[in-house]
Amino acid sequence: MRVPRPQAEYFRYAGPGIVRAKAKASAPTTGAGRAYARVRRLLIGAPLASEQEIEERLSKKKALAIMSSDAISSSAYASEEILNILVLAGVAALSLTLPIAIAISAMLAVVAISYRQIGYAYPSGGGAYAVGSANLPKIFALIAAAALLIDYVMTVAVSTSSAVEQIYSAFPPLYDVRIEVSVAAVALILLGNLRGLRESGNIFALPTYVYIGSALFVVGSGLLKAFVLHDAVATGYHAANVPTPTGGFEALTLLLVLRAFAGGSVALTGTEAIANGVPAFKPPEPQNAARTLVMMAALLAVIFIGVTAVAVSYGILPTGEQSVPALVARVSVGTGPMFYVFQASAALILILASNTSFNAFPRLAAILAQDSYFPRAFAFRGDRLAFSTGIFALALVAAVLLVAFKADTAALIPLYSVGVFVSFTISQAGMVRHWFGTKGSGWRSRLVTNAFGAVLTGVVAIVVASVKFTAGAWMVVLLIPILVAGMLFIHREYANETEELRVREDLVFGQPHRRQRVVVPVPGVTRAVVRAIAFGRTLSNDVRAIYVTDDVEDGERLRARFNRQLPGIPLVIVESPYRQLVGPLVTYLDVMEPDPDAVTIVVVPEYIVRHWWERVLHNRTAERLRRELIGRPNTVVALVPYRREPAGEHAPAR
Amino acid sequence: MGESNGQGQFSRAVVALNGGATDPLVVGSAIRLAKQSRAEAIAIHVIEVDWTHDLGDVVPGSQQRASEVLDRAEGQAERAGIALKTTLLQARDVGAAIVDEAAAIGADLIVVGLPYRTKFGGDFAMGRVVPYVLQNAPMAVLVVRSAIPAEAANGSDRLTAVRD
Repeated sequence: MRVPRPQAEYFRYAGPGIVRAKAKASAPTTGAGRAYARVRRLLIGAPLASEQEIEERLSKKKALAIMSSDAISSSAYASEEILNILVLAGVAALSLTLPIAIAISAMLAVVAISYRQIGYAYPSGGGAYAVGSANLPKIFALIAAAALLIDYVMTVAVSTSSAVEQIYSAFPPLYDVRIEVSVAAVALILLGNLRGLRESGNIFALPTYVYIGSALFVVGSGLLKAFVLHDAVATGYHAANVPTPTGGFEALTLLLVLRAFAGGSVALTGTEAIANGVPAFKPPEPQNAARTLVMMAALLAVIFIGVTAVAVSYGILPTGEQSVPALVARVSVGTGPMFYVFQASAALILILASNTSFNAFPRLAAILAQDSYFPRAFAFRGDRLAFSTGIFALALVAAVLLVAFKADTAALIPLYSVGVFVSFTISQAGMVRHWFGTKGSGWRSRLVTNAFGAVLTGVVAIVVASVKFTAGAWMVVLLIPILVAGMLFIHREYANETEELRVREDLVFGQPHRRQRVVVPVPGVTRAVVRAIAFGRTLSNDVRAIYVTDDVEDGERLRARFNRQLPGIPLVIVESPYRQLVGPLVTYLDVMEPDPDAVTIVVVPEYIVRHWWERVLHNRTAERLRRELIGRPNTVVALVPYRREPAGEHAPAR
Repeated sequence: MGESNGQGQFSRAVVALNGGATDPLVVGSAIRLAKQSRAEAIAIHVIEVDWTHDLGDVVPGSQQRASEVLDRAEGQAERAGIALKTTLLQARDVGAAIVDEAAAIGADLIVVGLPYRTKFGGDFAMGRVVPYVLQNAPMAVLVVRSAIPAEAANGSDRLTAVRD
């Protein structure tokens, strides 16, 4: 004989006293809920269980694509940023282009080494925030976190707007709808990320690897032609080719060199993403993260120095119409198919650069939420195990920025890269303290590396902030303390809440000893009222009904009926000449029958409608009463629902 | 009715569970076979009801214990990426219930567990269920042997296809 197990569909025994809910237990029960769930499933896929998190982890190959697109994509414009500044001082200054690129790559190496060490020392992720928290006063960790969060938002806004720029350069009619296209692009990346790590890795891997492959090919061909085959055209910069800027040449000063260095330092943005996201890697997490980080830094440095070297040897300058990498590709591989593959993949990787932020921002926000510096919703994983709240928040803020700045890259750029250098500085300073504290093998050389890196990135942070200050960096400088203040406020609120809810561990709680009295507000004698009073009687012997009315005679008629049908339940009539209901009832409880020793349980009969549209037919008094009474001292509100039976299923009238 | 193709491929396997130590091994073997053969697997647990009760009586505590047996198996299969259906039966005779249910749902394989001792020359009592299934099942039977845990220091788990 088969034994039915109706619970098996919804729950599974998972151990003594433990049942595990199956997906069906969370399935929506209403038509609208089911339709919403279907749409969600279509857009972001079926929900994943928590233990599938390990399956969602990233291999090194996918992680390189998903977490490095920001850093690697900066090789597409970092050389140009240096040339844009140096060209202001003429030919002599341009000879510093390659040394500056090499110096930036050296800084990249220092930062990468530091983050590699951070990944090992703090494998639970968090990067600069984790290092700052562990080694420096908390405020520095929060500054690093705030700076990084701002920078992640800027990465999304800037990379999206610059990618859309590429699109409307090719299709000019799209210029008028660039804001809509930008927001739609953010929405698309949002959806990809809501689907979870592994799937977004699948979506983003190909373009990243095509860019890496084609960029290496372009750089290799260019270097081969210039330095091995000694191409006659590769003769470097000449005074005749360098245009005189409006207002004449500037002097080659240290400040100009620093500005060029700061401009090229955008190459480093995104370097921290891997150290922030160590837990997203397949085990052994720190080792895999470290290898991926080294690979990323090496690729970035090779492409960046390579593009710069080819640009310098061919005397390439930014033209405004064509980017430096495009001109480099043109001299390296001509205008054949490889040129177009390189250009297309460069545009794509710029769009995908924002994906690094979509990965890093929610993780950092989740860590902050776990430490009570961000709302807790940021720490919850969504249906697909992604930190959905952080992903949504990032997309929303980036979309607002794109709309506010009309998707104009030039207007957005000055806000970019200040935050990331602030966080580099704090993380390296934190690592200096870390080595002092741990003094493990080789700590002295590591300490020197980090101290050097801290000074270097600190100087760059100051230079970047001051050079871009009036152009918009002031907003970031202002926003960081505001965000930090917000996080401190949230932390204090949570701390107060925890203190209020804290239960001393030495206390043992026995039977309740306070008296309970039940008050039932009634609109008449109805099934809902009868059910509420019956429930009230199970809680206490002291049950009374309260009828608020502006018609005392009507109240007396109700009292007679009450006495007949509900004997033993006293009915108090509160006359309300101003026809108010909730106010007189609450005041009556406060003033007429104060009983500080008793717990007052207000049992509210609530009629539940069958359809949403029926709600407009009712006053929803129960809800108003509940809102009014919640928070009243020594008061508990119980809503007793009465659901209207479907036609033909009426219980016999009582 | 699903049938074996004679090359160890099955389309529907009944996994008989008794709530004992062999269950994880039985389920593990069924999972491997189900994956290899892309077969459907149905876990069965039978509550034996003696003649002092009606067959439909709820024996106190038995149904929760039985549900736990099936749920554990379902969880193990789920972790391995296999959907395992579960059926709970009450019967006078466990062996007969397994064979009847397997025949009724068109199974072409029954997987059962058999604990064995590793001391005293390896003698073991087969009980009533396994011999009944071996003698009466009209489909292939796979007996999964497992050392009794308390005496399993040197014993290894073995799979033995007893009858096909």
